[in-house]
Amino acid sequence: MRGHRAHGALAAEVVAALGAAQAPLSPTEVQAALGSEQGEEKVRATLVRLWEMGVVARRPEEGRGHVYWPMRDAAADAASRMRSALAARRPRRAALRQFVAGLRVADVEVLRALLVRSGP
Amino acid sequence: MSLAVPLPVALSLLLSILAPRAVRRTAPAAAARGLMVAAVVTSGAYAVCLLMLASTLVEDLLPLSTEDSGAGPLAAVAAVLLAWGLWRLAGDLTVRRAMRRRLRGVGRPRGGGLVVAEWDEPHAFAVPGRPGHVLVTTGMLRALDAGERRAMLAHERAHLARHHDRLVSWAAAAAAVDPFLAPVREEVAHQAERWADEEAAVVVGDRALVARALARAALAGRRPPPAPSGSGGSGVVHRVRALGHPAPDGERGLVLLLTLAAVALAEVAVVAVAWLA
Repeated sequence: MRGHRAHGALAAEVVAALGAAQAPLSPTEVQAALGSEQGEEKVRATLVRLWEMGVVARRPEEGRGHVYWPMRDAAADAASRMRSALAARRPRRAALRQFVAGLRVADVEVLRALLVRSGP
Repeated sequence: MSLAVPLPVALSLLLSILAPRAVRRTAPAAAARGLMVAAVVTSGAYAVCLLMLASTLVEDLLPLSTEDSGAGPLAAVAAVLLAWGLWRLAGDLTVRRAMRRRLRGVGRPRGGGLVVAEWDEPHAFAVPGRPGHVLVTTGMLRALDAGERRAMLAHERAHLARHHDRLVSWAAAAAAVDPFLAPVREEVAHQAERWADEEAAVVVGDRALVARALARAALAGRRPPPAPSGSGGSGVVHRVRALGHPAPDGERGLVLLLTLAAVALAEVAVVAVAWLA
């Protein structure tokens, strides 16, 4: 159970890393983008599994093996549906919990100071 | 019987005023649950008291009533408050269900319980379901570095694993029926966020990293969104600051919350005795 969950967590991190990247990434680059101690073989296996599941696309690239990127169509469709879901003003306040919400203008300086203090 | 309106209202206001103070040093998991239970009990007591008083308007329900000269206008107030609360409850449930359906419809997760939307605006949601998944925009992913992304994902997964949507929905339902509990609803939501922050800190093993992820994500928005009214306003700064201290593990605040819940039950008994008399 624990191993299974850890596996799902890695898959999510890999998808997130590809989503954050501006260009396709090789497994080595994905491993670097994860910034954790994941072995490259594990990352490679996860990428292949995600590709087989149709979550990410890939193409061979000279000298780098395959490079991977998220399925843009699905992500673009998701974005347009998400936009319309969030467009309704009233439900948005009533029914959503966001990672962060309710920032005040005065908060901005406090948060900036924190980031400066804690490095890049 | 004349206490059937002012008593529950006073108790709800008391809970609203005391709740945030009571749980200041309490572990978020205990605080969120305790607040939710106190809100639901208080709201239930409020509704029952109003119902008993409002029912005196209908003579059939009270064959013994021959007096009740002074309770007339108050009973009408009770009926109006009760109807308003039920109207709000229906609205809250409808809106919540619609939003859940729409967010689920955005995309089905296929890898790692994550749906990515190609959108510059930074958003991250935990979408409840069986199993739930995380919905995140590329704007959010790009705003964060690798460690911060892990912290954000761990936070959202904690919401799903701990069923925070239920907790928040119950508190919202309580505050819909009993509008005087609105601050408690905000506090439950805030404590649920704190709870997920604490769980994320355990998962990534770094409180400062979670704080950084929060600050970065909050600043990633192009403009600060208008702060919602009420005490939930600057929740992010409070959460970031809380992560700068050791995790709170007290449970003393629960005593006060449960005492208030017990008082709410006693209040129902008092009103019921007056009603039956």
